[in-house]
Amino acid sequence: MSSKRHSILPPVSSGPKPPVHFSSSITIADSAVLTGTHPIAIHSESVVHPRARLDSLAGRLTVGRRCVVHERATLGAIGTSGRITEAAVTLGDYVVVEVGAAIEAGETVIGEGTVVGVGARVGAGAVIGKHCTLTPHTEIAAGEVVPDFTVVFSNGMRRTDKRGVAELKNKGLARQIDVLRRMIPSNPAKFA
Amino acid sequence: MSRRPPRGEYIETDTGNKVARKATLVGTQNIMLGGKTVIMPDVMIRGDLIRTIQPSSQSTGGAPPSTTAVSIGRYCFLSRGCCLRPPGRLYKGVFTYMTLRIGDHVFVGPGSVVQAASIGSHVHIGAKVSVGELAIIKDYVRILDGTVVPPNMVIPSFSIVAGQPARLIGEVPEGGHEAFELRNLYKTVGNNPQPAPS
Repeated sequence: MSSKRHSILPPVSSGPKPPVHFSSSITIADSAVLTGTHPIAIHSESVVHPRARLDSLAGRLTVGRRCVVHERATLGAIGTSGRITEAAVTLGDYVVVEVGAAIEAGETVIGEGTVVGVGARVGAGAVIGKHCTLTPHTEIAAGEVVPDFTVVFSNGMRRTDKRGVAELKNKGLARQIDVLRRMIPSNPAKFA
Repeated sequence: MSRRPPRGEYIETDTGNKVARKATLVGTQNIMLGGKTVIMPDVMIRGDLIRTIQPSSQSTGGAPPSTTAVSIGRYCFLSRGCCLRPPGRLYKGVFTYMTLRIGDHVFVGPGSVVQAASIGSHVHIGAKVSVGELAIIKDYVRILDGTVVPPNMVIPSFSIVAGQPARLIGEVPEGGHEAFELRNLYKTVGNNPQPAPS
């Protein structure tokens, strides 16, 4: 991190700066993008990777404890509805949003321990239960309700996760977060 | 910031790498490029996710720990919008990232996300492919568009895979090896690109 060269490109961040409520223990990369007008709350020990995009133009964003938002993931994308709601996107605790996934705004709720796979898309107003797995490139329609422990495959197939490894998964994620905190230079002051 | 207009879309290094100015390379000191590699705009490479524990730390003695996160061979082609990131896993109860090793003549299609442990040489990865964590892809493999390669999958040499999840659907025909050659594709991009020979 010593050789810091400045890009000739204009800064990626555009639009208004949202009011933020950060816990003191979060890790947020310098190049994450936070835009919008409504408040963005990130609870303790969550990690936001570089170039992740959090957009609160359509309502409040809440990210729970020990969540990981990977690069290029979008929270609060303005979907087809485009309406403004009280809580645009709510992530529970231990939620992982992987590379390039998009979660549309509009009372969308992701339950505790759910993994949103690479390039998946969650429609506006969808409610995903606890400990679900959305495999890569899955699409969840707007307003859909997915029960707890469901595995959704990208070809539309579903099944219930009966392995009972939710506790172990949470423990593994906590270890991953410990490593990420040392690797990603955090700069929450930039967004305050 | 910019004092003069940019000299070209790509930065061309002495070893023949062509790196787009609009590519996002995080942790550049941990990314190894073999030479003659093309990195197109909007490509993202996560070099900051380095391994935290060293394999057999006693035997290496005083050698400096290797911090390579992503190593790429010669004549690789990373298309627009693709993302390379090292895979992570729990190893002896500790979470660590592993090095992502890519051989020579590897094509990665637009919008693909690669989190493999290793990719051999002469591999073609199509568009919008997701390669899961710690997958191992051997030489002369063709992965068709939209494939989801599950984590930990091992793809043998000379196979064609497709589907969600990925399945073996065929073999690379005899004499089909020249199609993996990327030397001509390398010449078609850069600051003074040449048209592809027909």
